[in-house]
Amino acid sequence: MIIRRIAVAIDCSPHSMASLKAARELAERLQADIQGIFVEDSNLFRLAELPFSCEIRPYNQEPRVIEPAELERAVRRQAQKAESALLAAIENSTLRHSFITRRGLVPEEVVAAALESDLLVLGRSGKSPTCRRGLGSTAQKALVEGKKPLLIMRHGISATEEPCLALYDGSEGAEKALQAALFLTPPEALLHVLILENDPEEAWRMETSIREQEPERADAMEFHHLAGEDAKTIARFIRMLDSGLVVLCDEMRMAKEDIRELVSVLDYPILLV
Amino acid sequence: MTQQQGKIPPEQLRRKCDPLDFTFKTTAELDGRTEAAGQKRALDAIAFSMAIRHDGFNLFALGPSGTGKQTALMHHLETVAPKAPVPDDWCHVYNFEKPRHPKALRLPPGKAPELSGSMDRLVEALLTVIPAAFSSEEYQAEEKSIHEQLQERQAEAIGELEKKAADEGIALIRTPAGFAFAPIRKGEVLKPDEFMRLDEQKREEIEEKIGKLKTDLQSVMSQMPKWQRETQEKIDSLNRTIADFAVRPLVDELKNRYETLPDIGLYLDAVENDIVENFYQFLEKGQEPGEPAKKSRTFNRYRVNVAVDNGGTTGAPIVYEDKPACRNLVGDIEHLSQMGTLVTDFTLIKPGALHRANGGYLLLDARRLLMEPFAWDALKNALRTRQIRIESLGQLYSLISTVSLEPEPIPLDLKVILFGERRLYYLLNAYDPDFSELFKVAADFEDELEADPEGKHSYARIIARVAKENRLRHFSREAVARTVEYGGRLAGDSRKLTTRLQEISDLVHEADFHAESAGRSTVDADDVDRTVEARVMRASRISEKIREATLKNAILIDTDTAKTGQINGLAVYPAGRELFGHPGRITARIRLGKGEVIDIEREAELGGPIHSKGVMILSGFLGARFGMAQPLSLSASLVFEQSYGGVEGDSASSAELYALLSALSDVPIRQWIAVTGSVNQYGELQAIGGVNEKIEGFFDLCNARGLTGRQGVLIPESNILNLMLRRDVVEAVREERFSIYAAAHVDEGIELLTGVAAGKQDENNQWPPESINGKIAARLAGMAEKIRQYSANSETPEA
Repeated sequence: MIIRRIAVAIDCSPHSMASLKAARELAERLQADIQGIFVEDSNLFRLAELPFSCEIRPYNQEPRVIEPAELERAVRRQAQKAESALLAAIENSTLRHSFITRRGLVPEEVVAAALESDLLVLGRSGKSPTCRRGLGSTAQKALVEGKKPLLIMRHGISATEEPCLALYDGSEGAEKALQAALFLTPPEALLHVLILENDPEEAWRMETSIREQEPERADAMEFHHLAGEDAKTIARFIRMLDSGLVVLCDEMRMAKEDIRELVSVLDYPILLV
Repeated sequence: MTQQQGKIPPEQLRRKCDPLDFTFKTTAELDGRTEAAGQKRALDAIAFSMAIRHDGFNLFALGPSGTGKQTALMHHLETVAPKAPVPDDWCHVYNFEKPRHPKALRLPPGKAPELSGSMDRLVEALLTVIPAAFSSEEYQAEEKSIHEQLQERQAEAIGELEKKAADEGIALIRTPAGFAFAPIRKGEVLKPDEFMRLDEQKREEIEEKIGKLKTDLQSVMSQMPKWQRETQEKIDSLNRTIADFAVRPLVDELKNRYETLPDIGLYLDAVENDIVENFYQFLEKGQEPGEPAKKSRTFNRYRVNVAVDNGGTTGAPIVYEDKPACRNLVGDIEHLSQMGTLVTDFTLIKPGALHRANGGYLLLDARRLLMEPFAWDALKNALRTRQIRIESLGQLYSLISTVSLEPEPIPLDLKVILFGERRLYYLLNAYDPDFSELFKVAADFEDELEADPEGKHSYARIIARVAKENRLRHFSREAVARTVEYGGRLAGDSRKLTTRLQEISDLVHEADFHAESAGRSTVDADDVDRTVEARVMRASRISEKIREATLKNAILIDTDTAKTGQINGLAVYPAGRELFGHPGRITARIRLGKGEVIDIEREAELGGPIHSKGVMILSGFLGARFGMAQPLSLSASLVFEQSYGGVEGDSASSAELYALLSALSDVPIRQWIAVTGSVNQYGELQAIGGVNEKIEGFFDLCNARGLTGRQGVLIPESNILNLMLRRDVVEAVREERFSIYAAAHVDEGIELLTGVAAGKQDENNQWPPESINGKIAARLAGMAEKIRQYSANSETPEA
């Protein structure tokens, strides 16, 4: 796994600020560049041009007409704020960085902007109107489009300070997830490995195999066995472990829908490889 | 009266104290315990005042300074105070309901500092316990859950709206400042031209839908403040629960410790509530690392300001306030300057002497108290209201204008003992109506005590105490005897001793110095003599100057011849704390007149009222003796020659009368005999003050000119008891080189001064012609006749 450039979507929401922090930490650890992406939502500009356009502000019940010029200025201020946030995040470091602003539909533009990067970091949700707990449209788009590796962050939990948890089911995809987790975890740090296997003997065999493959890291690994592959059970087990970054691969034996559901319901940073 | 008849024998001129009256050899053998000898009246008053527990029975100990008032009071108090109960402690604490009115709490002796320490430790502990409670996983999870509930509630409400809109083909879009609705197609908002291409009905339909959705969104928005308030209430409730859980065990522990004190329990309840309400103070990291919590002003409100700590007190406290300023008496509220503003809080309340003495005794010097602005009123207020109310003086008199405090008054129960001069006592009695209400008992200290064995021994004990306390040399019994004699001299009475113990204490110090200079280990009689002589010598500059001027005849004092109408009177002058006497020439001149005696001193406004009164008495005497048969046809003038500084007192009235009688009788007066004493209208001689100094003053002059054996001083007989003359004067009298005469009546005096009999009226009221009185009567008759003739001539009508 080689990561030279990390793209991070910034809209100044709490989750995106957590993304920025995670991107900086990873970039420092991997000596990678950071690219900040801010997307001016084209839907907003279209909205402003509609004859009945008006907005409702919190704590102010009177609707207010959206002036296109004023909207332009407000969006530009948001972009400046996003860039300032990037600069503040990499302050006192020698990281190389760039910042780009694009206009269009946010999910599409973020995914497109990240094509040249080795890792896309984004928040679970942006400034969505519903303050939803699940994935936002951009994260869903990135997930559906199969953009990999993809780090989905949420605020309040660090991607680097807590031990990683790798999902493993013996598949080729699971092997990639394990290698990525080992790559991101410092040699002496704890790494959880959750083996998803209904057959206990097979699960033990997998554990033994991993230990043999990684004899130097075996002592720092903690293995957990779980029978059943449905997303809710796995999510509940992961919450019980209460680790940090969850690393998984969408090419595991689990159904893609289950993987997407797991990503959606888990309140932890998730690295999809 | 002949000269021999009037002479006072030497043994009456100075009362000697026999060293053998004392059983000890030196005062080192005495234990140094002193009681105020001869002060029974004052001691009884002290005992009464200290024992009676009613209001206003405070004490004023009056008497001259240095009479041992404070010593006697302390001696009594040190006897009674230890048997009295130890008063309670007092402290000031924050009033959580009315911060400007700090509360006063009463605790058993020694408990106030303990409570103060406990509260400091409580705050220290809470700085650890509360952050720990609020950083616990349980709290974090609970708080997160409450916030998520709000988010979910909001998300649910908006999500439903979003879904409803989506069903209608409309998207809810987040704008930079709020929310908006827009028609969408394939996830994209319709472009304006696309929208305009729709038929009108469709457009209206969309606008109508968006209008309804807006209304719904506004409804949701209007709910948000309420939801947030509800969330905040839940958070507050959770915070209180957590804070209470953390605080309660620590406060309960304190409550258990003070369960017998309901007021402390109530205070701790208030503390607990306040900490729970303001728990966030303990989470803030404003303090510098390592700074003790008790130093932080944030936590001042939980501190205990100990006003009175009687933990180490035995019995009732005895407090002597050396500087009884108002703030030192009733306490003060200090201020701190912060950013140019004066601020204060209850920890800056400073207790005063009244606090410290509460439940015991407070001793104050009346003069110092009255000299301090507002102090007397403050003390009276406290005694009248029986409570100590601390007020900031600056605030009270509008000297500073800033927020100040009104601490809860503390009940006051103490005895105040003022001590001062008599004049102050009588002035206060006369001019301050409150005084007699508040100081009902007066302990009147005697100026002198009886020179009996008890009095002499008390002197010895005083000397022993002073020597012991100040590590001075002890006195031999001979030195004590000399000191007793000096005490008699200061008392101005041979049967008395002065109670101005400060004088005696000073003498002990000075005598110790002389003994040290002489290389003696014990103070001897010579050291005492040298001390007394040195004192006189130090104050003798003026008296020597006057004597020198007299010897050079710049001041005319005749001590050799006999002169008519002229006499040497004796005056006494103060020189610091010493007195000295000196003769002054008094002359009388007569002429025809209407019977008045002119006092030139008064006419020149150099004579005081008492002196004028004395001169007027002379008119009364002359009128009664010689004006019954005929009017007095003379005018007499009297003057103190070479006196420019004013004359007061009537001690020269007898001398003036002798001068007048001499002038009237034309019989010369012996100038070698000086005279002192006042006289009444019957011619009786009356005692005067300063007799010793006056005699010694004339003796010194005569001694300087050379004692002839006929020089002497005539004093009133009633002054014999006051004689305590210098040893050299007594020696001269014993060797008949000098004489002291005493007379009871002016007739005895004039006989002594002129050598001519005064004469007695016969049955026909006639005076013997050769007597003084006979000569005066004849002279007056002649003057009356001259007046008559003069009047007859002047009334003859012109031809």
